[in-house]
Amino acid sequence: MLDYLVSIILTAGIYAIFALGLNLQWGYAGLLNFGHVAFMAIGAYVTVLLSMNGIPIFLAVLAGMILAGAAGASLGVATLRLREDYLAIVTIGFSEILRFVLLNWSSLTRGSFGLFGYPRPFQDLVGIRDYNLFLAGLVIAVLLMVYALLEALARSPWGRVLKSIRDDEAVAVSLGKNAFSYKVQAIALGSAIAALSGSLLAFYLQYINPNNFQPVETFYAWIMVILGGSGNNRGTILGALLLWGFFSTTRFMEGYLSFSPSASSAARMILIGLILIGLMMFRPQGLLGRKEELSIGR
Amino acid sequence: MMEQLIANGIIYGCIIALAAIGLSLAYRILNFANFAHGEFLTLGAYFALFFAASLDLGFPAACFLAIAATAAFGVALDLLAWRPMRSSGASRTAIMILSIGLSIAIRNALIIFFRPDALRFPLPVSRGMSIYGMSITPLQIEVVLIASAAMLLVHALLSRTALGKSMRALADNPDLARISGINVDRVIRCTWAVSMGLAALAGIMYGLITHLNPNMGWSIILPMFAAAILGGIGNAYGAMAGGLIIGISQEISTAFLPAEYKIAVSFLIMIAVLLFRPRGLMGGG
Amino acid sequence: MADEMLSVNSVRKSFGGISALDGCSLRVEEGAIVGLIGPNGAGKSTLFDVISGFVQPDAGCILFSGREILGMPAYKIARLGLVRTFQIPRSLMRMTVLENMMLGAQGQAGERIHLSLLRRGRVMAQEKDIQEKAEEILQFFDLLRMRDEYAGSLSGGQKKMLEMARALMADPRLLLLDEPFAGVNPALADRLIERIRILKERGLSMVIIEHAIPYVLALSDRLYVLNKGAVLASGHPQEVISDRRVFEAYLGEGDNAQP
Repeated sequence: MLDYLVSIILTAGIYAIFALGLNLQWGYAGLLNFGHVAFMAIGAYVTVLLSMNGIPIFLAVLAGMILAGAAGASLGVATLRLREDYLAIVTIGFSEILRFVLLNWSSLTRGSFGLFGYPRPFQDLVGIRDYNLFLAGLVIAVLLMVYALLEALARSPWGRVLKSIRDDEAVAVSLGKNAFSYKVQAIALGSAIAALSGSLLAFYLQYINPNNFQPVETFYAWIMVILGGSGNNRGTILGALLLWGFFSTTRFMEGYLSFSPSASSAARMILIGLILIGLMMFRPQGLLGRKEELSIGR
Repeated sequence: MMEQLIANGIIYGCIIALAAIGLSLAYRILNFANFAHGEFLTLGAYFALFFAASLDLGFPAACFLAIAATAAFGVALDLLAWRPMRSSGASRTAIMILSIGLSIAIRNALIIFFRPDALRFPLPVSRGMSIYGMSITPLQIEVVLIASAAMLLVHALLSRTALGKSMRALADNPDLARISGINVDRVIRCTWAVSMGLAALAGIMYGLITHLNPNMGWSIILPMFAAAILGGIGNAYGAMAGGLIIGISQEISTAFLPAEYKIAVSFLIMIAVLLFRPRGLMGGG
Repeated sequence: MADEMLSVNSVRKSFGGISALDGCSLRVEEGAIVGLIGPNGAGKSTLFDVISGFVQPDAGCILFSGREILGMPAYKIARLGLVRTFQIPRSLMRMTVLENMMLGAQGQAGERIHLSLLRRGRVMAQEKDIQEKAEEILQFFDLLRMRDEYAGSLSGGQKKMLEMARALMADPRLLLLDEPFAGVNPALADRLIERIRILKERGLSMVIIEHAIPYVLALSDRLYVLNKGAVLASGHPQEVISDRRVFEAYLGEGDNAQP
């Protein structure tokens, strides 16, 4: 029973952190990041590769976050002066290219063979038996810290400017705000948070390969953000739990109906596609969104 | 050696060009990036496979039917999905995310129906001939010829027919076009039909020179967007040029880069365009 | 002779072959109110867009307090003290009236991400000051009781007031008002005239685009008439209004003329 709870916390928790990064970019800044998974991948791979080469884990995680932030900022700088949807195209392209590079740069990443046997925080201290419990605690702690940070920022003057840029950039600019700079900051921070979730994922799975970071993962985050009401951090965490629930239920049913593995995962993907379509057509404000704060259905 | 790469690039570029025309026009006229566009390539190819196998038609007839079926699917999609979203004032973001959902659903539906394995069209294998020291198959030559014919048809449509002129008007200046009495819904439906038809043709040809798999369209969505952006969103001729440039650049890059990284070339070209000339080669702005 | 607050010289702007501004020049003396009128499509709002940096002109020169601002990004121009409002009020619907106002404040340290997290004390103190100032200005515009309402729920006239109030938060030295009287009922309009006069007394320079001539005549020290992207006439308001060419320019736009 405890094991089950621990696995919920680990999966839903890590994805919640991932989605919170996206919520900052979309819900607060109104930016269209369709390649969020790339930054999770950067976090995972940088952390693993650096720590495998002797760098202390904490620094490796930090390095992943900084690199992801820089990558996100670069993509932003290239596209933020243009139409908002160009960012979507460029980020989705970036996430595919990155996955490609990870698959093919075998000398560095061992390609689809993947990486394992890397150090995990406090591994020796905690021991294997209770490690997942410890990790679950760590994930909760990180989740709470990220949540607190984002809430503080949302209530701050910085957050106020960001929201104004989302709602009507011309107004913010007419009042002397450098909208471009704020958007780049939001992308950078959101990407760094995604990287952090990637590092945690690596610690949890003990094995990473490029197939963990398919483009569809980005859209899990979008579903979590939209379900909870864009811009609502608590809602995003709820969205993570709901999505986790969806995955568990479908896996459970898989056992009953005997689909082949590829057919059943494809069926699950079809449902995901339908959820996205359904949300957009019928409930873009999600479950917790308030009408005044209708974000997607403008 | 270089001539071979350029030849390969032209072949591949024709396919990207055809797909990009539809993507570019639809992007401009409907004002959103359709991430499901790749799936219409895939659908075209799979429809052709299905019709060739199940109905007793020759392959060309199956292709025509497939193109028609995909075009019809595109129009139906407009009625069921895009038009309701437009009328309810949905934001561009919502429509784009819907297109992502559609893309995921279609791709995985194909995986279930046709299984994820690679398939080939029921045609004899085309043997490469030696022309000026390059190895080219008759099939590849046919592909280039058909693509060129299709591009000429598009040119004729856009420049000589009333419909085509309406499409260009709507693409150049949507607000002005609406006021000047153009039946916007009808033009939009025709745009979808043309866009999907071209995508289906591109998909069939892609299947001819490589093979079919449910991810085939999605795997080239990046070059398609790069071509559309390079050419200038909304400009069909730009998309044609962009497609060829992207195709040739990707193939030439294999002389310097490992072949697997070809696709990064289109990404870099796209970023370069966005940084230095966002409206593309022929875009209006 | 008062100092020149704003000097717009021979500004040209075309949009895809259509000329919007064709050698437009304008001067605003410090502490003066300049009225800007002209038929629809004359280029008045475009001129505001160009002056405030939202649109880059093709040619010309713009000096704000003696400083060349052409080519400067719009947000920098606003920070220098040149603030504009929009013809159709752009209230941030999903933020409250007070939040809209507080956004306008300049120099709030908490708008920088690291300071908002690390210098909580200083930021909170500044927020208090900003809120006081916001409430004062809201009071001036009779909007204080709406302070916690979402801006989206205000009436048209109230949104216009909020637009102006918010612009004042930014400590402007020159305020560009785009049709401040549009959609404002006559009783409110009288109050607005009073307020604009008070702001002028406090030293604010303004350029006002307006269609309703009586208000412009009541407020302007100097009047410019724009037609087809160029200045048709300028000078003392009463003289300009009596100029036959001005009347004809308005007639030229069809049924909407009302000199």
